[in-house]
Amino acid sequence: MLYLSLVLFPIAMSASCFALRKYARLVVVAGVGVILAEIALILQVPLDEPVRFLGVTLSLNALSRLFLLIFLGIGGILFLVTWYIPHGENFVAVSLLILMMSITILLLQDPFLISLLLIWAGIVAVLAIVDLPVRAGVLVHTRLLASALKYLILMVIAGVLIYLGFVLAEVYRPGEVAGRLPLVRFILALLIGGFALRLALIPFHTWLPDLVEQVQPLVSALIIAIINTTGFLVLILSFQRLPVLLADNPNGTLLLRTGAMITMVLAGLMSLGAGSMRQTLSYLLIYNSGMIFYGLATTSVVGLTGALFEMVNQTVAVALIFVSLAMLEQPDGRTPGMQRSDLLRRWPVAGMGFLGGMLLLLGMPPFSGFASKQFLYHAAWQHGWIECALLLLATLFAGLALIRVAYTRLLGPQEEIPIPTPEMHGEIDLDRPVTQRLKPEPHVPAVLTVLLFLACLVVGLYPQPLVVLINNTIQDLTFVNL
Amino acid sequence: MTSGSFPWPLLGLAISSGLILLLQDWRQTIPCLLISAVCQAWFLAEQQFLKPDISFGFWGFSTVVLVKFLAGVAVSTILTITALTFSKEYGLEDLDEFGLSELRRAARAAQRQAVPRPFQPGEYALTFWAMVLALFASLTLPRIYPIAPSPRIDFAWYWLGLTGLFTIATTSNMLKVGMGLLLCTGSIDLLYTAVASGSQASGVSVGAVAMLSLVMILLALVVAYLSGLLFGRLKTLELNELYKR
Repeated sequence: MLYLSLVLFPIAMSASCFALRKYARLVVVAGVGVILAEIALILQVPLDEPVRFLGVTLSLNALSRLFLLIFLGIGGILFLVTWYIPHGENFVAVSLLILMMSITILLLQDPFLISLLLIWAGIVAVLAIVDLPVRAGVLVHTRLLASALKYLILMVIAGVLIYLGFVLAEVYRPGEVAGRLPLVRFILALLIGGFALRLALIPFHTWLPDLVEQVQPLVSALIIAIINTTGFLVLILSFQRLPVLLADNPNGTLLLRTGAMITMVLAGLMSLGAGSMRQTLSYLLIYNSGMIFYGLATTSVVGLTGALFEMVNQTVAVALIFVSLAMLEQPDGRTPGMQRSDLLRRWPVAGMGFLGGMLLLLGMPPFSGFASKQFLYHAAWQHGWIECALLLLATLFAGLALIRVAYTRLLGPQEEIPIPTPEMHGEIDLDRPVTQRLKPEPHVPAVLTVLLFLACLVVGLYPQPLVVLINNTIQDLTFVNL
Repeated sequence: MTSGSFPWPLLGLAISSGLILLLQDWRQTIPCLLISAVCQAWFLAEQQFLKPDISFGFWGFSTVVLVKFLAGVAVSTILTITALTFSKEYGLEDLDEFGLSELRRAARAAQRQAVPRPFQPGEYALTFWAMVLALFASLTLPRIYPIAPSPRIDFAWYWLGLTGLFTIATTSNMLKVGMGLLLCTGSIDLLYTAVASGSQASGVSVGAVAMLSLVMILLALVVAYLSGLLFGRLKTLELNELYKR
C-alpha cells in the first residue's frame, strides 16, 4: 500500500495541478503538500524488504532513500521559488510526474521497465521545456522549440539504445560465437552510448548547452538534478545487474575512463571559450558529469564512493546554482537589456549562491564537493599519475572559466548609481525626475538559497555520515573490485 | 512463420516503413505508419513463439499482438488528428500586439513558400540512397550479427531501426521526425518480443509490452503538441525555419 501511494499519489495530484493550472499559487501549495506527504511515506517504507506487486518487484535501499529524499527536497524548493519567480503554467504538474518516475525507477528492479520510465521522463520533460507562465502574452521562442525537439530526439534514441542493451542482455550466455564482436562488448557499447547521450558526455553533449542557454532555470534544474542523477543511478544498477560487462574487462574500463577524461578536459576547455554565464555553467556541468562517470568507470571502492558522493553534491549544487540564476536574471529596476557586471553587489544572496554552487562543482573547500573530488583524485592516482594530472588539468580549466565569469559578471563595481543632483532655484519635488527604485531580493528564494548553501557547507565540513552510508551500499555491488 | 510461406506481412512492413523514409507529404506517410503497425502485428501473429490466448471467431491471437495493433492505430490516429487541425489558432487572446504582428509575418512567409512546385526527382535523391543503404545493411547484418531467433525477425527489426534513424537524419519536417522516432521504438519492441519469447529467456511480459506501447502513444502526443506549437508559431512544419529567425 505504501509503495502504491508513493507512485499513484503524485500522478493524481499532477492531474489535479494540471486542471487547476490557472491558479498558480494554489498549485504551488498543492505541490509542496504532495512533497511533504511523499517524504513522510518514504520514511515509512521499510528498507531492503522487497515486495511483489503485479509481477513486479519493488524494493528500497538506504542509498535510494537518500536520493529520493534529496529529489523531493529539491522539488519542494523549486516549487516554492516558482511562487515568486513564475515559470511555466504546468511546471508543478510536470515536476510531480517526473518525481513520480524517479521514485518508481529507484524502487523498481526490472531493467526493461526502468529504461522505459527513463524515456517517459525525457518525453514529459519536453512539456516543461516549452511551457510558458500563465497569461504570458508572448510566443514560444523558436530556439526554445529547437532545444525541446533536440532533447526529445536524443532522449528517445538514448532510451532505445539502453533498452536494446537490456534486450541483448536477455539473450547473453557465457561463451561467444567465434568470428564476431562478442555480445558482451556490444551490450556495453549500447549501454554506454545510451547513457552518454542521457548524461551529456562529450561528444553526445550538444543538448545540454542548448537546454541551459534557452530554457527557464528551474526547468533546467529539474532535468539535470533529478532526471540526470536518476540516469546515473540506473547506470550503476545496469552494471550491478550485468557485472560481466566490467568484470575482468580492463580494456573496457580503460576505454570508459578515457572517455570520461576526454569529456572533462574538453568541457573545461570549452567553458573557457563560452560566451555567456549560462554557457559556462553548462560546460561546467558536463565537466562534472565526466568526473562522476570517471568514478564509476574505475570500478574501485574509492572511485565509486567519490562518484556517488559527487552525485549528491551535483544534485544540490544544481538546485543552488539555478535558483540563484533565476534570481540574478530577474528584472531589477535598472535599464533592461544590458549585460551587468555587478551582480554580486546587486543581488548579494543570489550572487553568493551562484558562486558557492560553482565552487562546489569544482570541488573547492570548504564545500562538500571538496571531499568527493578528493576520492575521485585518489581513484585516478591509483591508475597512474597521468590520469590524476588530467583530472587536475580539467579542474584547472574549469576554475579559470569560473574566475572569468566571476570577474566579468559578478564582482564588478556597482553600475547605475543614482547621483543626487543639486536643487534648482524654484524647483519643487514634482519637477524633479523620479528617483530610481531598485527591487529588493525576493525573500523566500533568498532564504532557500542560504539554506542550500549552508547544507553544502555542513556536508563539506562533516562528510563522514554520508561516506559511511555510501560505503555500506558499495559493499553489496558485485562489479566493484573490493 | 512457416519457412515456406511467402512473407506478406514482412513485405508490407518493409515497403510501408521504406515509404515513410522516402515520401514527404503527411497524407502519404501517416497511412504508411498505420500499415507498418498493422503489418508488424500481423508479422508477430504468424510467429510460433506467441501462443494465441484470445479467440475472435475462428481466429486466435496473442494479447501482445492486440496491444501492438491498438498502439499502432492510436499513434496513427493522434498524428492524423494533429495534421488535420493545424489550421486552428489557439491562445491568440493572450498575445500582445508584437506577438500578433509576428504571427502575421510568419503567415505571409509561409504562404510564399507554400506555392506548389513541380515534381523534382532530385529532392528524393538523399532519402532514396538512405533507403538503399538501410536495405543493404538490413540484409547483411542478420548474416553477420544474428540476434533474434530467425533471420526474418532480424531483418525486420534492423530495417525498422535503420529506416527510423535515417528518417530522423534526413528530414526537416517535424511530423516525420516523430515518425522516425516511432519506427525506432517499433524496432526495439519487435526485437524484445522475439527475444523475450525465446526458449532460454524469461518470457514476454505483457506489462513491458503495454508500457512500451504507452511510450509510443506518449511520444506521438508530444510530437503532436510540438508540431502544433511549431505550426502555431511559424505556420509551417519545416524545422529549418526554427534556426532562421
